[in-house]
Amino acid sequence: MSVPDYMQCAEDHQTVLVVVQPVGIVPEDQFFRIYKRISSVNQVNVRDTQRALFIRYRHHYPPENNEWGDFQTHRKVVGLISVTSCSSAKEWPQTAERFHGQKELFGSTLYDSRLLVFGLQGDIAEQQRTDVAFYPSYDNCPDVEKRVEDFVESIFIVLESKRLDRATDKSGDKIPLLCVPFEKKDFVGLDTDSRHYKKRCQGRMRKHVGDLCLQAGMLQDALVHYHMAVELLRSVNDFLWLGAALEGLCSASVIFHYPGGTAGKSGARKPSISAATDTGKRHRPGALTTSGISADTSSEIGRAKNCLSQEDIIEKYKEAISYYGKYKNAGVIELEACVKAVRVLAIQKRAMEASEFLQNAVYINLGQLSEEEKIQRYSVLSELYELIGFHRKSAFFKRVAAMQCVAPTIPDPGWKACYRLLLETLPGYSLSLDPKDFSKGTHRGWAAVQMRLLHELVYASRRMGNPGLSVRHLSFLLQTMLDFLSDQEKKEVTQSLENYTSKCPGGMNIITLPDGLKLPPVPFTKLPIVKSVSLLNLPASLRPHKVKGLPGQGVTSASPFIYSPITLHSRGDDRTKKIDFQWVQGDVCEVQLMVYNPMPFELRVENMGLLMSGVEFESLPAALSLPAESGLYPVTLVGVPRTAGNITVNGYHTSVFGVSSDCLLDSLVGVKSSGCTVEVVPSLPRLQLSTSLPRSARLCGEDLSSSVCLQLFNGETQQLVITLENIGSETLNTLEMSSKTLTTKEKLFGDFLSWDLQDALSRLPLKPGQAVTVPVDIHAKLDFSGQENLLQDLNDDGISVTGLPISSPLRQVLKPRPENKQVNADTSKSEYNHVKTLEAVLNFRYSGGLGQVEGYYREISLGVKVDVEPSVFFTRVSTLPASSTRQCHLLLDVFNPTEHELTLTARNQQLILHSSECQRMAIQVDKFDFESLPMPSHDVLRQSSLYQQEEERQQAHGGQINSTLDLRWNIISFSCQLLSSLCSSGEASVEGVLTQLVLEHMQLAPLQWDVLVNGKACDSDVVADCKVGDAVPLEVKLTNRSKSPVGPFSLTVVPFQDYQNGVQNSELQDVVTFIGSNSFYIDSVSPAGNSTCVGALLFLYTGDFYLSIKFQDDSVGRDLPPASFCLPSVHVRAQEPVEVAA
Amino acid sequence: MAVCVAVIAKENYPLYIRSVPSQSELKFHYTVHTSLDVVEEKISTAGKAMAEQRELYLGLLYPTEDYKVYGYVTNSKVKFVIVVDSSNTSLRDNEIRSMFRKLHNSFTDVMCNPFYNPGDPIQSRAFDSMVSAMMVQSS
Repeated sequence: MSVPDYMQCAEDHQTVLVVVQPVGIVPEDQFFRIYKRISSVNQVNVRDTQRALFIRYRHHYPPENNEWGDFQTHRKVVGLISVTSCSSAKEWPQTAERFHGQKELFGSTLYDSRLLVFGLQGDIAEQQRTDVAFYPSYDNCPDVEKRVEDFVESIFIVLESKRLDRATDKSGDKIPLLCVPFEKKDFVGLDTDSRHYKKRCQGRMRKHVGDLCLQAGMLQDALVHYHMAVELLRSVNDFLWLGAALEGLCSASVIFHYPGGTAGKSGARKPSISAATDTGKRHRPGALTTSGISADTSSEIGRAKNCLSQEDIIEKYKEAISYYGKYKNAGVIELEACVKAVRVLAIQKRAMEASEFLQNAVYINLGQLSEEEKIQRYSVLSELYELIGFHRKSAFFKRVAAMQCVAPTIPDPGWKACYRLLLETLPGYSLSLDPKDFSKGTHRGWAAVQMRLLHELVYASRRMGNPGLSVRHLSFLLQTMLDFLSDQEKKEVTQSLENYTSKCPGGMNIITLPDGLKLPPVPFTKLPIVKSVSLLNLPASLRPHKVKGLPGQGVTSASPFIYSPITLHSRGDDRTKKIDFQWVQGDVCEVQLMVYNPMPFELRVENMGLLMSGVEFESLPAALSLPAESGLYPVTLVGVPRTAGNITVNGYHTSVFGVSSDCLLDSLVGVKSSGCTVEVVPSLPRLQLSTSLPRSARLCGEDLSSSVCLQLFNGETQQLVITLENIGSETLNTLEMSSKTLTTKEKLFGDFLSWDLQDALSRLPLKPGQAVTVPVDIHAKLDFSGQENLLQDLNDDGISVTGLPISSPLRQVLKPRPENKQVNADTSKSEYNHVKTLEAVLNFRYSGGLGQVEGYYREISLGVKVDVEPSVFFTRVSTLPASSTRQCHLLLDVFNPTEHELTLTARNQQLILHSSECQRMAIQVDKFDFESLPMPSHDVLRQSSLYQQEEERQQAHGGQINSTLDLRWNIISFSCQLLSSLCSSGEASVEGVLTQLVLEHMQLAPLQWDVLVNGKACDSDVVADCKVGDAVPLEVKLTNRSKSPVGPFSLTVVPFQDYQNGVQNSELQDVVTFIGSNSFYIDSVSPAGNSTCVGALLFLYTGDFYLSIKFQDDSVGRDLPPASFCLPSVHVRAQEPVEVAA
Repeated sequence: MAVCVAVIAKENYPLYIRSVPSQSELKFHYTVHTSLDVVEEKISTAGKAMAEQRELYLGLLYPTEDYKVYGYVTNSKVKFVIVVDSSNTSLRDNEIRSMFRKLHNSFTDVMCNPFYNPGDPIQSRAFDSMVSAMMVQSS
């Protein structure tokens, strides 16, 4: 016997073996349909007894196994059912012939046989034969089961007769010696008359009868017979049969103890569960009726005595197996006994002992096994290990079986079977094919064996001709076992992966195997490894801003507090956090990933793009190449949101080694992110800004789209033309412009930037592609006052600029510097670089399209940086009273710090200054009536402090003075490097240099005094003519321009003569006489009112007289500035009346 | 004597496995891996009996054609497995026990290292050299 039946179990000992075989050509599926119906009759209750007969059906049974039928009767084929197709009567004889031939095969052991003929109709089919049944077709055979039952009953009758025959054969004189095939030659020439031989014959026969009893459903008798056989055989040391007897004893006990059977549901014999459960119930009565006595307790006791205990069963099995082990040819028997014992142990849950049996079974040598048998053996071992809960062992053997399927000796390797078996080993190696199970931290497992298994899966699937599958497995290997692969292995794996993907690119689809197993996709989250994800804001010029004051803005915070140190939101999941900036529909947005390459070679990542949800998104994939074992490497992925709404970054997709993967951030470990959801606002127009001036480096500290930089002399003006082009796809509807001067230390006068937007606004709305221009004037007007060090420098020349009484309005006060001084100045020039920097930002705020409806706008800004070089300095400013009280002289010490000749013009005057020259310029100006300046509105007054008000007022005053002066400079010969601009001009301002004192001097007195001589207004330079002897009326008029009433005043008119030599003669009592009083009294004058007092003079002689009007009251100066009481001096020239008459 | 020494975590994954370089490492991986079945079975059956007084030494797990596999389980369910050559018949049970004790002591030292994270693979040099000594000693 060479073919073991691994499916055997202890209860098979009580079955009778029936072989069902096709005769002639029978379609396989039809045959198995019939076979199935036949094998459903696996238990038959015999009619007149209460015993049951169990039948084991086989459609294939090797005849050499049949030869062991005497050894264990359940191995004997006792029944044969042949199934045949026979379409015509002509074929019938041939078919019958074949049936007989088949009967011959098992002839010696058959109790009975049946032939089922399908398809035959007619005369032959009409005849009634017990051993042949005719059916018109495979579908029309309703009584097959009935037939089989009859057949089984007939078998039972034979069996029962045989049992009775053998059991009653007590004579003992002629008991045949039963033997197994390999024993036959051993007994040739043996003394058949010896006592030893006879005992042996008896023992073997007892054992045989025991088998028959067991088959016939007489458990109790079987046990008795087995016990007797054991006794007999032990005494003659017939070990093989002793083993068989012991095993029989075990089987019978197992059947008693475990009526449910030991094969479990996985058994290949399909005992229906219902049949199995009531097995015990059925064959107990069978056992009872053996002795013809109805059930009573004595028999129960007797059975319990004969029956082995659970412990003993295993002991006896061990003993039996050890006896079998003595015979090399009984390997199959030993192996099957092991398997049966294991099944029993599995039910008893004694895994350790079971494993010992299995361990023994592994070493049983069955001689040359075919490859198929080896596979079967390993699979069964695997199954049995599984049964006792040794999953790892089971997996090990399954894998061995799988390898056996494709052993090199097999001409036609079964890769599919191998693959299927390998898949079954996965749980044993605690390996699932779902990458999600490996995403939790570092992988912990038997990496070496798991990797081996994965490699085998890859290879098997490739040989199966399913490259998609091998790509999937290889990807899985690479993804999950990356940490355990050596550098060399990494290279090899990726190389083969690339080879496979060249034929079949890997994707994200779920691969479903024919047996229903689903292989989830394997995203390469470790190639490259992503460490952080951050969404980038749009560049400053493209950022959308929400119009303030619209509802829905600013009330987003759930907390009633403006600021609270307690953060209410959970620290947990940062990814759900919304980011506080917005993206704009239709505009490219960016997400930055920090990635690194764990591979020891360059990693090429293709088609890397973003996976977004919430908004229609057009991803613009990028390809990148990461150097070997790179550090953190920033990668910016871009895309365009096509609709508005909230967009969430879910992950990214890549294509590495030909495998495209979608990596979701949720499944990634250790990814830092500051939020992945951002709002996309509806589309807005885009402006591109270009200027007439060249662009420059960015200004520090400000987030600007662009900036320009230019150089101007102080006071110079330059025009900048800004062109704004709508390069977006939306129509621009609104445009606003504003500027912001960055805080500088420098004091700035006037508007730094001024523009006219009217023209541009008139051309709105601006369609895409259109452009508008905005001219902007840049005035660089800084303080023109000299600096400390400059004054110092000037003082070095020994020229005092303070308090020189200068009578000439225009007088050169500074000689050209000595040459030695010039050199010094040159070297020191770099030290005090007078170049000052002015910075400002021009902001354009625009909106349009749908974004405008939602209340969004955009800002584009232009930084303007001006390096202001000094043009002129007013080192000192002072005033001199002019001859008229309404006028004064403004004295300016002008210094030219440039390297060029400079012309300064003021009103009608012109002054030419050489480089580093200082001159004084005197300008006669009318005094200013500052009170008439418009006062700032009350609102402004209320808001600003007193100091600020004062400051503002002073500024306003300065501005007025400046506009009157209209100081302009002109640099004639410009630097030779810039030949194109030979001339440069600008205005100068004295605003910064005007001191409070100077301002006071230049202010018109709040009390305006007018002196009229002869009805003509008299001022300093005007000489009033009058005739000697005529009364000259003198009128003094006071106009009060201050805000409070003034007065009363009393004035005294004192005439005097100036001899022009410093001597003034006031003793003129006899030259000039007053008509009336020489003193006037002016009553108090209300604001804006005036008061006049009139008197008269009489000149007695000709000559030049001066009238000095003085205040009598000393207390006048208590609350008004002295300038208020500056009355013009009156110059009267008295002439001969004759001359006048002539 | 030992041809393979392995330390296996409570969750049945290897913390340390080392075998003689002359043989295929994978083979020992398989051997040790499958031996876990027996270890688990032994623990579960023994655990039911007397949880406290269980002996740590599990004895011979199973013999194969070439090797004998011995097991040892600490109270924290960390398993030690030693594979010895079957041909080495001079080896006594007591010697195996003393090897396991040494292994256990050394493992305790490893666990005492404050920089060692329980559950991480053992990379201690002291442990390594102890295992090396155990493997050299034999031949």
